[in-house]
Amino acid sequence: MERRSFRAMGTTVELVVEADGVSGELAAGEEEFERLEQVMSRFRPDSELSRLNRQGGIEASADLAQVVGLAVAARERTGGAFDPTVHHAVELAGYDRTFTELPEDGPDDGASAPCGGRVVVEGRRIELEDGFAIDLGGIGKGFAAERVAERLALAGPCLVDAGGDIAVRGVPEAGAWSVAVDDDLTLGLVAGGVATSGRDRRTWRRGGQERHHLIDPGTGRPSETDLLRVTVVAPDAVEAEILAKALFLGGSSAASAADVPAVLVTEDGRRLTIGGL
Amino acid sequence: MTDHVGRLYALVAGVVVFLVAWAVVAAHPWAPRPAQDPRLVALAARQQRVQRESVLVKRLVDRRWAAYRRALAARTAAAARIDARNSALAAIATAPAAQPSVRVVNLPPLVVTRTS
Repeated sequence: MERRSFRAMGTTVELVVEADGVSGELAAGEEEFERLEQVMSRFRPDSELSRLNRQGGIEASADLAQVVGLAVAARERTGGAFDPTVHHAVELAGYDRTFTELPEDGPDDGASAPCGGRVVVEGRRIELEDGFAIDLGGIGKGFAAERVAERLALAGPCLVDAGGDIAVRGVPEAGAWSVAVDDDLTLGLVAGGVATSGRDRRTWRRGGQERHHLIDPGTGRPSETDLLRVTVVAPDAVEAEILAKALFLGGSSAASAADVPAVLVTEDGRRLTIGGL
Repeated sequence: MTDHVGRLYALVAGVVVFLVAWAVVAAHPWAPRPAQDPRLVALAARQQRVQRESVLVKRLVDRRWAAYRRALAARTAAAARIDARNSALAAIATAPAAQPSVRVVNLPPLVVTRTS
């Protein structure tokens, strides 16, 4: 089994392949992460996404058109709970630079930005409604994990962990890919993807109040929910990311009724496992 | 003959002058114009004031109505979003469970999932 860790997309990425002599494939996987970050990053002024957000409409690469199309479809499927047009709201909440560059605290002007802007994807043409921009932070890492897992699978059973958004291909000798959700809870994953969304990390303060990056598209401000963290197992990492955010915004009562394998952690420390786990 | 005609003309002219003078005197042009009824004046002023106020009230009502319509549209849109989200969550809740391909295990963790 060979592993490779590196920084990409503002997090630590880990590639695991159950095979020997796959350093070339692992290096290619890292390069693919770098390439996709250059497509999807909102923090890089020269990324393709930044160009789309500046111009409002471009002939995009196949990757950007695909991931934006997935995000728009997810918005429809979740009734707007997952929304890629939260870009301005995230920035107004204070997350306007990479997380490592964020000041711990700052003034809070109480501003919010509307979400739900129109996004049209036709072939490779992407058009945004005036006044809206896209943030792929809620789907990009899962998309990249799936893409790299697809390539690594040619070398053997593999797992790609993009800062907690996990995609797997094939079954390892141990019988399952063991993924820790908590200190005393480990899931054995045979296929699909895992993702965790929450407000227990990536938090900062504005006006002394804690802020986090999960925007409620209905208010344009960091969501207020009784959940601290949601981990979802789904057919792939992209779907897991989308469902994790939708369940997180729904709160514990709505989320606990969902019939998907998930682990919910409430702000008072309770842990609920649902969906047959 | 000529004197008779002259006298007749003079008589007619005199009668005409008399009648005109009579009419002028009867018209009392020197009399002061009767003062307007103060009740009518007050009524006219009140009518103008009420008309001005009605215009102002109409503008105010129009502004409030427009604000109400905007607020109603925003609340309707917000309610629609919440309904859509609840429907989506309900759909997730009632959808057939995805094949989990997952179980709780006692294996040592290979990786950790956490908020990304």
